[in-house]
Amino acid sequence: MKIFVTDGTAAAFFSAVFDAYREKECIITSDSRVQLAFDSEIVRITSNREKNERVQNAASKCDRHAVDDVILTLRSGDPSKEQTAFEYLKKLLEIKSPISKMLSLPQVIEFNETARKVTGEVHMLKGLLRFMESREGVLYAPYSPDNDITDLLMPHFAERFKSERFVIHDVKRKLAGMYDGHEWLTGYAGEAEVYLSEYEQAFKNLWKKYYNSVNIKERPHIKQMKGYMPVRYWKFLPEKNGN
Amino acid sequence: MIDEDKLEILVEGAKYDVSCSSSGSRRANVKGGIGNGSGSGICHSFTPDGRCISLLKLLMSNECIYDCEYCPNRRSADVRRARLTPDEVCELVINFYKRNYIEGLFLSSAVFDSPDKTMELLYETVLKLRKVYSFNGYIHLKGIPHADSAIVMKAARLADRMSYNIELPSEQSLKLLAPQKTKQSLLLPMKGLNEAIEYDKQNKVRHGKVLPAGQTTQMIIGASPESDGQILRLTEALYNNMKLKRVYYSSYVPVVQSNKLPTVGAGLLREHRLYQADWLIRFYGFNVSEICEEGENLSPEYDPKCAWALRHMQLFPVEINTAPLEMLLRVPGIGAKSAYRITEARRFCALDFDNLAKMRIVLKRAKHFITCKGKFYGSDSYSQIKCALLLASGGANEQLSMFSETSTAVSALTGEL
Repeated sequence: MKIFVTDGTAAAFFSAVFDAYREKECIITSDSRVQLAFDSEIVRITSNREKNERVQNAASKCDRHAVDDVILTLRSGDPSKEQTAFEYLKKLLEIKSPISKMLSLPQVIEFNETARKVTGEVHMLKGLLRFMESREGVLYAPYSPDNDITDLLMPHFAERFKSERFVIHDVKRKLAGMYDGHEWLTGYAGEAEVYLSEYEQAFKNLWKKYYNSVNIKERPHIKQMKGYMPVRYWKFLPEKNGN
Repeated sequence: MIDEDKLEILVEGAKYDVSCSSSGSRRANVKGGIGNGSGSGICHSFTPDGRCISLLKLLMSNECIYDCEYCPNRRSADVRRARLTPDEVCELVINFYKRNYIEGLFLSSAVFDSPDKTMELLYETVLKLRKVYSFNGYIHLKGIPHADSAIVMKAARLADRMSYNIELPSEQSLKLLAPQKTKQSLLLPMKGLNEAIEYDKQNKVRHGKVLPAGQTTQMIIGASPESDGQILRLTEALYNNMKLKRVYYSSYVPVVQSNKLPTVGAGLLREHRLYQADWLIRFYGFNVSEICEEGENLSPEYDPKCAWALRHMQLFPVEINTAPLEMLLRVPGIGAKSAYRITEARRFCALDFDNLAKMRIVLKRAKHFITCKGKFYGSDSYSQIKCALLLASGGANEQLSMFSETSTAVSALTGEL
């Protein structure tokens, strides 16, 4: 069985689909730690513009949203995301008309579920992202999301903080979105050194005071809190991380 | 910058107000401004009691001229008092908002000096926040009963949502327990605001709409003798006549000793059932008369939809592949999302029981009320179904554990306005 290994980009994925489409049984992945079976053969894929376009065109002919949907799903942090998207595309090319509403197909269920996790995390982090103010007045928000969503969050905050300057820093993927008060872009960012404004700690303390006062102690329901706000996000929340 | 003690006192007074939603307004940001409305609403944190923090809930002041027996902030109560200035509120809101702690402000107040003075200060604060600080995030403002309607209307042009709390579900109870609030002092401003909202809607006003997220209200359940049937009829009337977006319930907990108040709390199951019924009215196409007779209470054992289905077994089972959406919504265990998934999926192929399970549709209760391709998977006797549903609602009890013993819970009474 062939295993197509991509570099994780959408372009390489579409090129891999081109090569994998004719195979009877194969796997597409970007996970280099993939488990090998004894008969598996590794094929490394680099993006190829022509293959990439042909796959995208074929998919768009069946469903004009398909390419965008696939790109969204590929943002997932799930190691089998490429396979999920590949199965979806195969089904789409087989049926030759939009399948996104065929909600009883296993490929569609899996695909939609993966995409929903990405958009769900975007929505959650619109609330849970925390900025701190630097000495220069730039707002800085470090976080480490499950999925690669920095450029999905940028438009939301750029609209909201129109005349501020801010940075959203995905410390896990070493990726940062930057907004200078006019437009935003994303790029590589290793480690950031931030000197906080003199008021930062005071407002953090007020926020923690608010958090503790607004809670009704006599009605604890920790399970529900953790359900809505999973513990892995607490690291960057001043009201939870004790800083 | 305000000090932490002051913040604590004024949050303490506002935190029992149930409403914390920030949805329904898409207010746009302006050039040089900060903030906008998010149609779906955004939760920014969750407290250990399981509730979400979306808005900064504050009282402008907890100094009150009234002496309502049940209220923790009443004039004669011995509690710490504090008052904020509009600038203190604005500074806090802007700085919390910039750090993405909150989605906006929920501002309420005890009545100091006079209702007009109080309302005026609330208005002044909101005006400052919008015009001086150029804040376009969400603002929920409490209406002060008996305040001049002109100030109320000016405030409504700046806020996203306003609410007057009905407090008690009938006029007699209001007279007995909150004599300074009359039915008219609550309903008239509500009606006035609704007329203004309707006017904007009919004239297709696009900018500077009055209260884009509408009005809500809140009432205490169990402090007075009204039945669930009466409460739900009042709720339905408020939705129909006042076009309210939400009616919130808060179950009564005895804290203040008074011969006018019951000594036992209402229990949080009752509150939960009322909310379930409320959703059936708003989203599932039920009429109050189908859910509950006027003098009756909702069943504690079954949720209102289950109870309705058990009374109407002649309508079931329905075939999942052909039943209209309205009927699917009436199947116990099938909610709006599941119903949507079913109607979408069945356009392409007939669904069987396995398909439903794979589509993550919860069948624990639904299986007794549906057939898939003509096949029935539920129990065949009425008593068995009743029994199974009772067991299935064991999950509901678990959910309710968010509420500890009512005797230890502090006041859910909304003394503040």
